[in-house]
Amino acid sequence: MTAPPVAWQRLSPRMLLVHPVHEVVRQLPVLVGSLVLGSATGNNLLAVVVLALTVAFGVARWFTTSYRIGPSELQLRTGVLQRKVLALPRNRIRSVSTDARLLHRLLGLTVVRVGTGQEASGDTVFALDAVRADEVPRLRAVLLADSLAVPDAEVADPGRVLARWQPAWLRYSPLSLTGLAMIAAALGVLFQMSSEVGLEDSQLARSGMDAAQRFGVAVTVAVAVVVVLVASAVLSVLRSLLTYGNLLLRRDAEVLHLQHGLLRVREHTFDMRRLRGGTLREPLLVRLFGGARLDAVMTGVGGAGEASMLLPPCPRATAEAVLAELIEHPEPVTGPLRRHGPAATRRRWVRALALPVVAAAALAALPAPLWAWAGWVVVTGCCALLAADRARSLGHRVGGGWLVARAGSLQRTRDCIAAPGVIGWTVRQSLFQRRAGVATLVAATAAGVKRYRVIDVPAELAWSIAAQTSPWIADTRWASDGPDLR
Amino acid sequence: MTAPIQLADPAHRPSRKAPLVWALGAAIPWGALVIAQVVWFALDHRAPGLNALAAAATAVGIVMFVVVVPLWRYRVHRWDIDSRAVYTRTGWLVQERRIAPISRVQTVDTQRGPLERLFGLADVTVTTASSAGAVRIEALDSQVADDVVARLTDIAAIGAEDAT
Repeated sequence: MTAPPVAWQRLSPRMLLVHPVHEVVRQLPVLVGSLVLGSATGNNLLAVVVLALTVAFGVARWFTTSYRIGPSELQLRTGVLQRKVLALPRNRIRSVSTDARLLHRLLGLTVVRVGTGQEASGDTVFALDAVRADEVPRLRAVLLADSLAVPDAEVADPGRVLARWQPAWLRYSPLSLTGLAMIAAALGVLFQMSSEVGLEDSQLARSGMDAAQRFGVAVTVAVAVVVVLVASAVLSVLRSLLTYGNLLLRRDAEVLHLQHGLLRVREHTFDMRRLRGGTLREPLLVRLFGGARLDAVMTGVGGAGEASMLLPPCPRATAEAVLAELIEHPEPVTGPLRRHGPAATRRRWVRALALPVVAAAALAALPAPLWAWAGWVVVTGCCALLAADRARSLGHRVGGGWLVARAGSLQRTRDCIAAPGVIGWTVRQSLFQRRAGVATLVAATAAGVKRYRVIDVPAELAWSIAAQTSPWIADTRWASDGPDLR
Repeated sequence: MTAPIQLADPAHRPSRKAPLVWALGAAIPWGALVIAQVVWFALDHRAPGLNALAAAATAVGIVMFVVVVPLWRYRVHRWDIDSRAVYTRTGWLVQERRIAPISRVQTVDTQRGPLERLFGLADVTVTTASSAGAVRIEALDSQVADDVVARLTDIAAIGAEDAT
């Protein structure tokens, strides 16, 4: 290192308040446990000591965390007991996102996360937790200076708004499973607590058992299911409102800004030059109501989940318009797709109906009651609908510098990938695919989920699709025109 | 739509020793299983039917994975390089043909496992910026592998453009 050393900087001193609170929340089970243990043994000092230690640990975290932005490297020192230095070359920075939870916001703090495109999780995430919110624009500009040009007049020119959250978007959220997941998580915690505190024979549990005996099991279960579903819908809507309310997607020249969240404010910055396309996601329940989600396909940004999300479930037309505007081509987004033919359709049906056929054989073998056959009919009907929908979804489109592939039913996706981003092709055929004369074409890219599949295209078309997307394939010495080769 | 394009299969086979090395590689875990079963047969005489069933399953597995699969893979595996791309065909039940442009190659590695060293073989892995795009040429004679690496690094202006 020949450059003069840069001073280590500390995080905002206000974190002296936040860290202890977070530690206490994180160690809550231990604290509750020590409280219970203390009251059981008549030694209340134990809980106090544990609490003091936890708070001291939180305070110590501030004193042991520091960062510095060197000329070529970003470094973060952390760890109270186990010291750790995380270093990041500045030219590897691909995105900067910010995140402010409620407590952070009350204190005017923001967490700054630096993304490099590597799959980072847990300890390897480069996060400055936290700096003052008014320092963030400067920090963002410094961090991204090497890898993308942030316009200087960022504040003066707010750029063009691509999408703004509408209350109508809430209509897609009762259908998501997040509410159910939250209820399941809450129940899990409750059960764990109950075994510790002894809730099994509490009044609540006993009154529940009484009700079950009075009304009969079927009614109780039905009521419970309805209550859970309603609660799940309400929770989903509430969560959606809190997470995505006031969402704003804005484009300033080469930079895409996404910010959302009512309580916990999150802000992502994407480099448009790294955009390699987009994925329209249409989960079945959202699709039934004409909705879609939009994910960005970018190098240096994780392919699925929150990191690449551009729009939550919203009207399909909105998602399509935003994607068309981002990639500056409407055809890949809305253009008609080429179907994959009868062999692909047949394979969808065979797969979906294999299980019902086996089940029918089993039911026939052992004398099954009538209700089992009724259930079988319902399940088979669902499988048939699934097969029909999956066959209908399959399609692709090439040309104009874009590869588009659509597949799936419960999670239908339409991937639009820019041809220059594709850096390799795989044609995969299982034994059954060889017999059916179809192949799965996989386009490898450095962006998004890295592999984008075109499922069950006719085998003789596979390389043509690849060559139309990547013209260099036609120039290799293995390429030849005409389908009469094999 | 332009004329449909076909890709001929890659020209070169792996080393002639490849099936032997693959068979030996598969034989080692199966051999361990056979020894474990012999011990079990010697110590436990309560269920001879179960013993026979296990022995039969093991025999079928050995024939399949030590004899059939290596020969099958040898029939399928092919590789080739031209001035623009690396191209392989691999697999047995599921067969893959994979092509990657040399202009986008990031690294060229050779690996030699213990068995492969014993028989003078090497694998060459060509990686691109996509984790889904790595092309692996298996079981080449060491000399051929070295030539392949030299040729690839020659053609590839490595680091010039990798589409990230």
